[in-house]
Amino acid sequence: MKEKVAIIGYGQSHHQYDLNQTREDMVFDVVKEALKSAGISRSDIGTVVSASTDFLDGRTISNVFLSMAVGAYLKDESKVEEDGSNALYYGMMKILSGAYDIALVEAHTMAWTFNPHQVWFYTLDPLVERQMGFDDICLSALQARMYMEKYGVSEKSLAKVAVKSLSQAVKNPYAHRKLKKITVEQVLKSKKFYEPLTELMISPLSDGCAVVILASEKKAKEICEKPVWIQGIGTYQDDYLRDRDLLKLNSLKKAGKSAYKMAGIKNPMREIDVFEVSARFAHEELMIYEALGLCKDGEGAKLLEKGLTSGNGKIPVNPSGGALSADPICATGLIRVIEAVRQIKGEADGYQVKGVKRALAHGQFGICAQKNTVVILGGER
Amino acid sequence: MGYLKDERPQTMMLDGSWAVGAYRYKALPLLKEFALALKEKKILGSLCTGCGKVVVPPRNICGRCHQRMDEKIVVSELGTITCFVVSPPVQKGKYKLFGMDPVETGILKEGEELIPVFVRFDGSDANVNCLLINADPKKVFIGMRVRAVWAKELKGNLSDLEGVEPLEK
Amino acid sequence: MRNVAIIGCGQTKHSSRRRDVSVAELVQEAVYNALQDAGISMKEVEGIVCGNMQGFGGVAQPDLWLGDWIGANGKQVIRIATGGTTGGSVGQGALYAVASGRFDVALAVAWEKHSDSKEAGATTGLMHVGAGNLFLALNYGLSLKNLIATTAVGAAAGVAVYQARFYMHRSGCTIEHLDMVSAKARRNAAKNPYAHLQWPNCQPEDIAKTEMVAYPFRYGHICPASDGASCIVVAEEKIARKKCKHPAWLKGLASYSDEENQLQSEGYGGVGVIDPSEQMGARLSAKKAYSMAGIVDPKKEIDLAEIYQPFPSQELIFSERLGLFDEGSAWRYMENGETDINGRIPISVSGGVNATNAIGSSALQRILESALQIMGKAGEHQVPKKVRNAVAHGWGGVTNYVTVTVLGDSPRG
Repeated sequence: MKEKVAIIGYGQSHHQYDLNQTREDMVFDVVKEALKSAGISRSDIGTVVSASTDFLDGRTISNVFLSMAVGAYLKDESKVEEDGSNALYYGMMKILSGAYDIALVEAHTMAWTFNPHQVWFYTLDPLVERQMGFDDICLSALQARMYMEKYGVSEKSLAKVAVKSLSQAVKNPYAHRKLKKITVEQVLKSKKFYEPLTELMISPLSDGCAVVILASEKKAKEICEKPVWIQGIGTYQDDYLRDRDLLKLNSLKKAGKSAYKMAGIKNPMREIDVFEVSARFAHEELMIYEALGLCKDGEGAKLLEKGLTSGNGKIPVNPSGGALSADPICATGLIRVIEAVRQIKGEADGYQVKGVKRALAHGQFGICAQKNTVVILGGER
Repeated sequence: MGYLKDERPQTMMLDGSWAVGAYRYKALPLLKEFALALKEKKILGSLCTGCGKVVVPPRNICGRCHQRMDEKIVVSELGTITCFVVSPPVQKGKYKLFGMDPVETGILKEGEELIPVFVRFDGSDANVNCLLINADPKKVFIGMRVRAVWAKELKGNLSDLEGVEPLEK
Repeated sequence: MRNVAIIGCGQTKHSSRRRDVSVAELVQEAVYNALQDAGISMKEVEGIVCGNMQGFGGVAQPDLWLGDWIGANGKQVIRIATGGTTGGSVGQGALYAVASGRFDVALAVAWEKHSDSKEAGATTGLMHVGAGNLFLALNYGLSLKNLIATTAVGAAAGVAVYQARFYMHRSGCTIEHLDMVSAKARRNAAKNPYAHLQWPNCQPEDIAKTEMVAYPFRYGHICPASDGASCIVVAEEKIARKKCKHPAWLKGLASYSDEENQLQSEGYGGVGVIDPSEQMGARLSAKKAYSMAGIVDPKKEIDLAEIYQPFPSQELIFSERLGLFDEGSAWRYMENGETDINGRIPISVSGGVNATNAIGSSALQRILESALQIMGKAGEHQVPKKVRNAVAHGWGGVTNYVTVTVLGDSPRG
């Protein structure tokens, strides 16, 4: 039996545009919350893996002044410079290698410091794309247009994704953008960025932090009553923008397949009870349904129209509101993991899906979701 | 061994830029408290009730104990030099700051030898980086006792602490 | 922990301005060299761990773009970056990844292209470490005189100047010893075709003639800012034994962080560290790595060390922290030639960071050079003695991050 790693504690901030806290305070508060939820103290931690980027934080070596706040004083520490779900993967690998028993994984970004859309611009090839005046919303809009034209999906479907996410988020105390009586017309009429993407179809600029505490199998069984097991995980990187088929999220398909294989899942629709995915733009959610194998290519909109993916549907997607309601860039994937854990443990008051045994969490990074990480979590080992 | 080119002709270059100055940072009012205390000739530090360490200027989190350091404490204005560096004599045209030459604009004198030092004020467990003034660069040594030098006009900002000077003249 | 080994190494020629390649092509050179050296193809590689300090080149997440150049598209890629120790963290990332059982073969790729930035000597990126604090302090009336003094002195040598002074005061080391260390580095680098500052037969007197920047650092002591990349191939035991005659086995690794030494903490707060040459993080990392490796007496059991020394004082300080010499005595042994290529405990025989510093990749290069020595592939700068255990070290951050990796010629246990 291959050894497994479990999540024994977690914590997240109340995401909003201006948390009015320094990075240090924000990270410190959330780490304290996570340690309390796991019932351990800083001395029990073996290693710390954080996730943040220099460009987003505006500080070279973005974790250098945060080592104390995150609890890494005289402890093994490293930093993954992308989505928190990859930091989770690295933390998990450190435990599986046998070097450490307990790992603390932290991810944060403060959008108030510098507009993340500006940072995505800097990820473009400096020799070609950057000279052409593209930015990430423009490129995503191109992708949305391609998808809509190929499969005959209308803007209304995109707006419905936003309505689903933003109205679901009302019940989530940690979410940033919550709109109770939002309608399709309101979404379509909100500020237009690049057709067809309007403001409410794009994730908001949030400050936020998420922390997860991992433990080895032996330790988890010792100290945790209800650990949540990582049953499958996979991460893949797609081709760069120019060479990619933007219609398909190929790296997500591969990541999903790899995670399903590891978890022994043959039919995700039946075997997974809730999906927490990171869709920075409304159309990405429809493409994610297809890449994860929930429906055939192009049928994502049909799943949505039938209400199958709403909070009380058969395959609930993003009962917490997803990235469209709170998007602290590096923390987004880790927040999805936390929300999936809450569903499994039955702690998601107000938006709990009934009888969740297994959940899927997804994190992405890069323009048009170039890199994707999929995590399968379950209450049973 | 590995691929090593014989010739390396220069290839095309394109310009780019990064809007580094556009970032906004959050800070606590701690530095303001420190600056205001300087107006009253007091050097403020924060004390951790867990490990007993005192850091100057104040900080709000003790990483050793992983708890907040809310207590403030005033440390002595006498201290010891724990480290020093003597800069080479200042020359016009050698160094530019924000596009201006410090000698031309009168901030520094030509030939001046600056002595940035680390000072541990009595009662604190931290180094404060400041300038040693009214001292002969050749007579500085680690362990030298110094006293804080206050500006003639105290305004409640960081320049109120001009530097430190040797206790013995 | 299952046994893993380094089976191939590749690096590029380092120089101050590699204007013949874009950063993608530069990294590609290193990866190509590593795959050739290991005798494997990209198909067999399952995962890639990569990283650099992204502020220097002005490209955010460069691996998203240059991934296609190195075959990372369609593979599992994790980006790790921790400042000066980036290379070491990347190397350790790949080692953990294979040791965990998730991958059988992984690459660790790290690079830096300083010449892409207009300001010389990596200034933009380095300034931004403390820029937030600086702007805050200026807001509260930090005097310009103070600012210039700290930056003028600090600009080239930064935090290391104070650290050197502490060490010299404690141990009795003099500036002549720093000259000796730098001369040794440049001499050794002349035997390394990939190094940057190559000065055959460099003598301490040559270094002593260079201009004094800020006592005790002369111009000749300070590392260059190089463009370059390095890559290592890590494989699990069965594959390692099949592909490589003398793989460099992982014996132990650790990367402990300390409180920010010297610069203020975020928000211009103080730090409770008086002596930045104490390096408690380095001591603990070395302890953990040695205990994983089963090394009880590093003085006797370590045959070679690759120490991250952009400044010569750090070679002496860290060789003591890694347990190779007693407290305050490293300079004496160095003086006697014990750390030369043919000495008892050769240190930084590749020239080290003092001769070649592509910041993102430098710490990975230390692991790479140690592996080359164990594999017997170091060419002209191969040490004459048999290397059973080697330790590779890196430091970074505001002298508060350390990575220590112990490699050996036989697997653990």
